[in-house]
This record gives sequence, structure tokens and C-alpha cells, in this order.
Amino acid sequence: MLTLLARFLKALNSETGAWALAFAFVLGMMMGFTPLFRVHNLAILLIALLFRINLSGFLVSWMICSGIAYLLDPWFHAIGSAVLQADSWQPVWQGMYESAWWRVLQYHHSITMGSVIVSLCFAPFLAIISYFLVTQYRQRIQRWFFKLRLVQALRANKFWAIYSDLRG
Amino acid sequence: MGHLFGFTGVSDMTTNIRQSAIRWPGLVAFVIIVGLLVAFSWLLLDTIIKWSLERSLGTLNGAEVNIERVDHTWVPLGIRLERIQVTDPAAPTMNRLVIGAVEGTMNVEQLLLGRLHFEQVESTGIRVQQPRERAGEVYQAPTREDLEGWAKQGLAALNLEVPSTDKVLERMELKTPAAISEAEQVFAAQKQRVNDARSQLPSEEKIKAYEAKVKALTESEIKTPQELVAKREEFEALKEEFEQDKAALVNFKETVTDAVEQLQTQFEAVKDAPAADMARIQELMQLNSAGLTEITALLFGDQARVWSNYMLLAYEQLAPMLMRSADAAAIKPKRGEGVWFSFTDANAPPDFLIKVAETEFAFGETILDVQWNNITHQHEQLGQPTTFSARADNTQLWNSFNLNGELALGADGVDARQQWQLKGVKLDNLTLSEGNEFAASIVAALLDSEGSVALRDSILDGAATIRLADMQVNANAENRWAQVVASALQSLTRLDIQTSIAGSMTQPTLSLRSDLDRQLGSALKTAALQEVEPELASLRAKLQEQSGGFLGENEEDLSELVGLLTTAENREARLQELLEAKIQTKLEDKVKDRLKGLLNGG
Repeated sequence: MLTLLARFLKALNSETGAWALAFAFVLGMMMGFTPLFRVHNLAILLIALLFRINLSGFLVSWMICSGIAYLLDPWFHAIGSAVLQADSWQPVWQGMYESAWWRVLQYHHSITMGSVIVSLCFAPFLAIISYFLVTQYRQRIQRWFFKLRLVQALRANKFWAIYSDLRG
Repeated sequence: MGHLFGFTGVSDMTTNIRQSAIRWPGLVAFVIIVGLLVAFSWLLLDTIIKWSLERSLGTLNGAEVNIERVDHTWVPLGIRLERIQVTDPAAPTMNRLVIGAVEGTMNVEQLLLGRLHFEQVESTGIRVQQPRERAGEVYQAPTREDLEGWAKQGLAALNLEVPSTDKVLERMELKTPAAISEAEQVFAAQKQRVNDARSQLPSEEKIKAYEAKVKALTESEIKTPQELVAKREEFEALKEEFEQDKAALVNFKETVTDAVEQLQTQFEAVKDAPAADMARIQELMQLNSAGLTEITALLFGDQARVWSNYMLLAYEQLAPMLMRSADAAAIKPKRGEGVWFSFTDANAPPDFLIKVAETEFAFGETILDVQWNNITHQHEQLGQPTTFSARADNTQLWNSFNLNGELALGADGVDARQQWQLKGVKLDNLTLSEGNEFAASIVAALLDSEGSVALRDSILDGAATIRLADMQVNANAENRWAQVVASALQSLTRLDIQTSIAGSMTQPTLSLRSDLDRQLGSALKTAALQEVEPELASLRAKLQEQSGGFLGENEEDLSELVGLLTTAENREARLQELLEAKIQTKLEDKVKDRLKGLLNGG
């Protein structure tokens, strides 16, 4: 866990692209928010692994968002149920239901549908906010951050040793 | 975490190929991860299926469902489940259904389209209402009221009690004292009335004087026509007096007749009052339990309920689960589970279908095969109802059994019907009641039953006859009332019970009635009256004494009144005779005789 956090901080403080980190956050959020055993999560995992997305950021985001998802479950269920029960969308859902492909995606599950909608809606905002925060951190906070007594204290312990090792 | 997914290696590689947007080693990692997931699922497939089925069936059932073992086969694609326990949500310590084993083969083509179609399902060792080792978890407690509750209380529910004589006398107004009091008042009033009328009557002396006067008139000598006129005028005056007195006599007679009639009515009322009072007291002193009319239900209710669990199995067990599966929104999902919606087209095959199922119900050593066709919750899409039929003859438990029915889930609810004929069930040591105060069991009997049940819009309506013949009942009781019941039961050799089934599908209500209700009710009432007979005898004597006292005191007065009537009639007759006396003719004859004498004698 410490290794993972150290890797994440390393990425944050390294030359890793800010967008790479932002996309990692987005993909981790989508995987965290939606039920784990769904086919679309395989696609997300494939994107995260195949493309140059920061994996530490992805994993941290996934873990944090999985926790948040537990809190948001009733909301996802309500949104998903409302969408799946909407009269005007019934022909669409019925058409998709006849297709094995869409059935495999399990779109007709209330929490799956609700969480996918929420995470897709939130994804652009999270991407932009993440990019902004990473760049701002690097420009303004990083130097100030390292001067903090707490951080200096941390630099003296095991965590900093791991972090330093990773830095090579 | 990073090690788990092999990220250390991947991260190192990224340093070398930083310029490329694609991280090829990531693809390798992805393949490894997917491979691990597949292997993991493959190895734990049975556990995953077991867990999924327990969760989904539990949600449909509304209470915990346990599956002991799950096995799958790939060719043909099939599944075998062993020892399925379905908790009864109304009684979590009981399984509403236990299935020894279920085995079925699936249609692969339909499975790829997301539909669960079983070609052939066989299940064995099905039993209903079996105790659980530990109480099952209830997800959705049923709202039904426990209809067996009152029946299980057995005869204790009757709370038989005979009220004391004093309590009964407090509650009722005795007719005897009231009748005596009223009769006394009427007697006094009528006596006064008769006395008033009596004072207006011509006395015996007056009548005699009239007779003397009339005699004198008729016997007197008349010599001249003037004397004749005078006598005639005298007689006319007398006649007027007779008329007045006769009117008084008629009035008196009417008064006395009326008084005698009224008093005789009062006498009758006083005479009848004690008997009426006793009848009313006996009525009030009978056993004060409404349950007397429900003895059949009290004695046979539990057993009938168990039998109905088998007879209504299709409705009570299968239909509610089908209904729940048909209406995803009706089930409140657990947090984090969500709801699976179905968007099946009206003409598409159903999502779930068991084309043929053979189920073996176990009744001790006896096995009953029930054949099912087209088990689904989407009958409108399938265009056919779920049908079930069972036939078993010459088994250890019965001579013949025939059951058939069908069930379909529509937009308005469940529509179904079933009928059965069961003959020659050998009942053996069947406990009816095992309380401390009352224990009864059927030592041996032969049971026949036939009936039919229909389900319209999820409301049950049916009737059945249960005929018990060659009965030997063993019954013991401590309570004196229960002893009466026990005695009557032991004398039974046959009994016809009429059963009606009503109410909603998940809460069927059974009502049972038979001649036993009337027989036992009558026996209990007789016993209750025997219990209080000494008190009743004392009361009866007291009332008869009061009534007899009044009658004895006033009988003489009534006789006197009747005597007065006779006297009045006698006087009236004499007056009438006087009135009808042909005095004028006699006087004229005398005048004529006189005139003839004068003329002849010259």
C-alpha cells in the first residue's frame, strides 16, 4: 500500500504527463463507481494497461472511488431504475435486450446503468479538474509541500525510503 | 497491489518506451489478468452459482434459501443442486420446502441470448414444512396474520364455562314475579269493576217482588174495561222496570264475562311463567364459547392445514415466486444489489422456462411423481399456462390419487385451477391435539377427499370434501367439558368434513365444518345443563311455589266470579220470562169471559 502511494506521489512529482494522470483518475473512477464484474470494466482495464495511463493513479482512484461508490449505491440504483423504467426509452432498452452483446454488458441492471451514467457524466469534469490540480500542484504547491515540517518528518521514515528507492 | 497485477515490470518497461502511446506489455498483463479471472471463475464456478442462486432464490422467497451442493457439467450444459432448503418467511424455524436434489440441462443457444431455458428438470425428495436446524434469515416478513394461530390453541381456546345461577338471574328479569304482580293488579281492577256492576243489579228480592206483582196482575179479577186499562197500564210500567233491570243484568254479565276472560288469561300467564323462566335460564346457562361452532376446525384445522400445504403446493410455493420474479420492482432489493429489469418483447421467448419438470414428492416411504410443463413467469409470451399433473395408484399410503391443474401469470395476477380425487388414504396414529388438558389422535381411519380450487386474479376460491371412514379415535381429557368432546369423538366412526378455501394466494384461509359441530355442541350443552341441574331444580321449585301460591289464593275469587255469571244469567232468564208474560191476552180473556157471563146470565 505504501509502495502504491509512493508510486503515486512519485508520478505526481515526476515528469509524467498531467493528462496521463487525469485519465488515470477518470478510468479508476469509472471502474470504482461501477460494479466490478462487468464486461465494460475489462475494457477499462485494457485501456489502462495498454495505453500510457499512469497505473498508480488509476489504482488509487479505483480504490477511493470504490469506497465512494458504496455510499452512492442507493443513488445509482435510483438513477438506473428511473432511466430503465422511462417510457420513452423502452423501445431502446427492448431492442438492446434482444441483443446478446448488450445483455452481456448487463445494462439492464439498475446499479450498473446508474453508475455508468453518473461516471460518464462526471468523467469530463474529473479529467479537467484532475489536470488542473496536477498542473497547479506542480507549479505552486510542490515546493511549498516539501518545505512542510510534516513532509520533512516523513522523509526521514520508511515511506521516504521507499519513495527514494523508486526515484532511483 | 501493484505486484498482483504485475505493474512493477510494466512500470520499468514504460521508462524504455516512453515515447510510444501504447504500452504493449500492458496487453500481456491484461491477458494474464483475464486468464486468472477465467481460471478463478472456472474453479469456483459451483460456489459462485451456489451463492448466486441462494441470493436470488432467497430474494424471490423473501427468506433465506440454502443449497448444500452445486455441481455443473459442460457437455451437456447442466446443473445439479442438492438439498435445497427454502425457509418459510412466516415461520423461520421451518422450511416451507425442502428439495433433495434438482438436476436440469440448459439450452446453450438460449443461454447465449441471456435466457435460462431448461429442457428437462428432475427433482427428487421434495417435502414441505420441515423443521430447520437453525432459524433462517427473513428478508421480507410476510404481513399475513397467522391463521393457524387460534386453531393451534386447541380446545383451550374454547374457554368453556357455565355461568352461575346468580349471575344468570342478575342478567335476566324473571317473568314469574312480574306475571304474578300484573295478575294481582288486573284481579283487583276487575273485582272493583264487577262490584260496581253488581251494585246495579236487581236483587233476588226485587225479582221475586216482580214475579209476585205479575202473578197478582194475572190472577186479579177484572170486572170492567176500565179496570182492564188500569191493569194494562200497571203492567206496562212494570215492563219498563224489567227492561231497565234486564239492561243492568246484561251489562253485568258482559262485565263479568270480560273480567273472567282477562283473569283466566292472567292465570294462564302466571301458570306458564315458571316454565318460560326456566327455559330462558337454561338458555343463558349454556356454555359461553363462540368456539363451539368451530369444533371441527379446532380439532382438524392443523391437520387440514398440513394437507392443504400439499394440495395448494403449486399456488403457495411456486406462484408467489413466479409473481415476484415477474415484477422486479415489487421486490425491494438489498443495498448494493440493484434490480435486474426485463425488457422482453411480447413475442419473444420467455427469459426463464423449464419445459418439462419431473418432481418427486416424498411422503415417508411413498413417492408421488408430479409432472410439470412450461414453468415460467411469462405465460403471455409463451402463450401457454404452466400445467401440472400427478397420478399414483395403489401406494402404501393411499389407493388412488389424481391431481391436475394449470397456472398462468397474467397482467391482473395469477389465474389457475386444479382439481383432485384422493381415495383410501390410510391414516395411522395421526395426532389431532396433544395439549395437557386434551389429547386426541386418530388411531386409524380411511380418508377420501375430492375438491377443486380456482385462482382468479390471485384470489383463491375452492371447496373440498374430506371423508373419514372406519375411524378409531383415541381421546383423553382432564377438563369435564373436554371429556364430553373426548367421549363424543371416541364414538365417531365416520365423519364428513366440508372445507372451503378462500383468501389471497399467499394467505389462504381454510374453513371446516361438519356434523361434528352440531353433535358435539349438543352434547356439551346437555352436559352443561346437567352440571347446573341442582341449582335449576331449586329455582324451578321456588318459581312454581310463587306461581302456585298466587293461583291458590285467587282461584276461589275466580270461581266466585264465574258463579256470579251463573246467577246473573238466571236472573236475566227470569226477567225475560216476566217480560214475555202474555198478561194483556190473559186480562182480555178474563174481560171477555166476564162479558160473556153477563150476557148469558143476563
